[in-house]
Amino acid sequence: MAQLILKNVYKRYDGQKKKMFKKKKKKENDFAVKDVSYECQDGEFIGILGPSGCGKSTTLRMVAGLEKITAGEIYIGDVLINDLQPKDRNIGLAFEDYALYPPLSIYENLAFNMRAKKKKEDEIKKAIEYVAPLMKIDDLLDMKPSALSGGQKQRVNIARAIVRRPGLLLLDEPLSHLDGKMRQQLRQEIKRMHHEIKCTTIIVTHDQMEAMSLADRIVIMKEGEIQQIGTPLEVYDDPANEFVAGFIGEPPMNLMPSVIEKQGDKYMFTFEGSELQVEVPKRYNKVVKDKMKVILGVRPVDVLIAEEEVSSTPVPVAVYENLGDERRISVRVGEMLLSMTTPEDVYYETGQNVQLVFHEERTHLFDPETGGRIKV
Amino acid sequence: MAQIELENITKQFGDVKALDNVSLTVRDNEFFVLFGPAGAGKTTLLKTIAGAEFPEKGLVKIGGNIVNHVESKDRNVSMVFENYALYPNLSVYDNIASPMRSKLYKKDEDYIKTAVDKVTKMMKINHLLERKPSQLSNGQRQRVALGRCLVRTPNVFLMDEPLAHLDAKLRHFMRGELKEMQTSINSTTIYVTHDYMEAMSLADRIGVLNHGEIVQTGTAQEMYYTPCNEFVARLFGEPEINILEGKKYAREDSVYVKVLEQDVLLYPSEDTIQALKETDTDDIHIGMRGNDIKFAFEKPGDEWLEGTIYANEPIGNKVIMTVLIGDTKLAVTCPNDTVAELDQKVYVKFNMMNAIYFNGETQKFIIRNNMSRYMAEKREG
Repeated sequence: MAQLILKNVYKRYDGQKKKMFKKKKKKENDFAVKDVSYECQDGEFIGILGPSGCGKSTTLRMVAGLEKITAGEIYIGDVLINDLQPKDRNIGLAFEDYALYPPLSIYENLAFNMRAKKKKEDEIKKAIEYVAPLMKIDDLLDMKPSALSGGQKQRVNIARAIVRRPGLLLLDEPLSHLDGKMRQQLRQEIKRMHHEIKCTTIIVTHDQMEAMSLADRIVIMKEGEIQQIGTPLEVYDDPANEFVAGFIGEPPMNLMPSVIEKQGDKYMFTFEGSELQVEVPKRYNKVVKDKMKVILGVRPVDVLIAEEEVSSTPVPVAVYENLGDERRISVRVGEMLLSMTTPEDVYYETGQNVQLVFHEERTHLFDPETGGRIKV
Repeated sequence: MAQIELENITKQFGDVKALDNVSLTVRDNEFFVLFGPAGAGKTTLLKTIAGAEFPEKGLVKIGGNIVNHVESKDRNVSMVFENYALYPNLSVYDNIASPMRSKLYKKDEDYIKTAVDKVTKMMKINHLLERKPSQLSNGQRQRVALGRCLVRTPNVFLMDEPLAHLDAKLRHFMRGELKEMQTSINSTTIYVTHDYMEAMSLADRIGVLNHGEIVQTGTAQEMYYTPCNEFVARLFGEPEINILEGKKYAREDSVYVKVLEQDVLLYPSEDTIQALKETDTDDIHIGMRGNDIKFAFEKPGDEWLEGTIYANEPIGNKVIMTVLIGDTKLAVTCPNDTVAELDQKVYVKFNMMNAIYFNGETQKFIIRNNMSRYMAEKREG
């Protein structure tokens, strides 16, 4: 059990440094991880989420002690661990690859690290008997890794990481090798395991759904920098910038460049290459101006088809899809499709004109230059 | 333009039957989706039509003609692959023009230019004509590959998971784009996918394959609302449909179903009662989708079943709650701001209006609740 604190952590790989001198790139672009700070409370489940190359694994590896820290401080509890050996940090690690010892039985695999630490056999037995049911591998203990499926191997891998009851559990893309169904199942088991042992846990993933469903709080990274930290609902409802808005949510948020036009006492969204005009939610009236360029961000569930007369221009339905659980309707806006989804059993003919309304509270504006959110 | 008929096709790889006595008719100008899990035989079936695989038994007919011994290049089919297979040394223009420069389908350059212009406008890649494939994004490459397939007017278009390589976001948009331009495709199309949303969105009709056999053919709505067995029911919808094990229970010449060994009787509709009476087993399975289950944290009434929360997963626009009742896990679709503790008590109630009944022994479809009304509504559109 432990609290984890990162203070202004930077990482630069040596190769990058050399490249910098050769190509004279901008200095700030050369960090794989840049000024990362966050606090992970005791027992908390944190997800580090981002596209490949965003520095999420590097951050995890610095916590684990597998990478040197270029600048900054990392604490586990009150202890500064910058110069501590990995084995002395009291962490459990599980990677995407299972790395089980093939000649050893599952029991022996789980016991291996504790034997190395010269724990007593009955203590080892007790520890294994506690974690095996948690990860649902109690029936597999006598088998060899080669007899196990990918999902079972990953269960053993995670069980091995927690069997010593580490202060901190680090999981690096543990589910990305597995197919859909298995992934969903193991996701639930990991969450339940965490609920049971309440070990401070960090999971690194590029799958937003995985981060959303597992983590208490999500740290979203891009190009080595933290974009936002928040609970799953916070990052979904209240994205800090355009990147977070586009990264979180499935189907993805509609993000469309728009020019705002003043018409009488109303402001309208207009779009290049399209006749479409939709009224700007009134709460933005104070911050928008005529001819202002913005990126409009609205989730498919928050685009509605008006049932009564509204000020938006009618547009023809370009695509109607009945997906069983929901209906998806898209209209063409210049080069892009603007989609909306509804669980209601509705039908629209292709070409039929509809008038759109954007959800008053849940329509976001972003600055096209910086990507930052324009708040009221 | 052509109708495709497959009659009793069997294809073996060594001891493995990749296709087992498959018969299928794809109508002229139809957009037909082959759907199924990995290894079901979807791609093999597509290759059999293309002429890249030859079946041991059965007939392949294109436009009424038997083509079993016609070589691939003479079948006049146009195919697009999952991994694009673009010529890396040719520009986008030349890649798309390449099928029309082959010996067999040789066209003059003016014709080619008109055709390429038309298709690249449709695919919105007309600003990329000079680029090489290496200078394109994945989505653009996919559109070039599709463009190269669509530039000809063959008898049949064959598409093998053309969107599978794209990431989730791009796939969502490309599906919309493909659906929109579908109306301008004037040829029979066979499209292979393992993504149920692609299948439901694009298909005029779907053929579900499993272990080399056709399990069901029909429209997307038929697959979702009246699947022929539990296997098909599980393939469509997210979260996967819940299949509840129940027992038929007769009382006062009516029939009820008890599920999950709880003392709550579920009341089938009139036509269901009749169908259940005629079913020769007491084992009844009920298919119930996640959005047809209501939940509450305080027990609202006697007809609600008690369970505990096994998992509670926010995934953005909804929360998928897994409720444990006995040994059975139920996936329940909840609003996206639902907050709950693991192992907390929860009560659920089924919307029997949308229940689908299966024979517990054979897993075959018996009836959908209010089937007659459902069919009537369907006829009215």
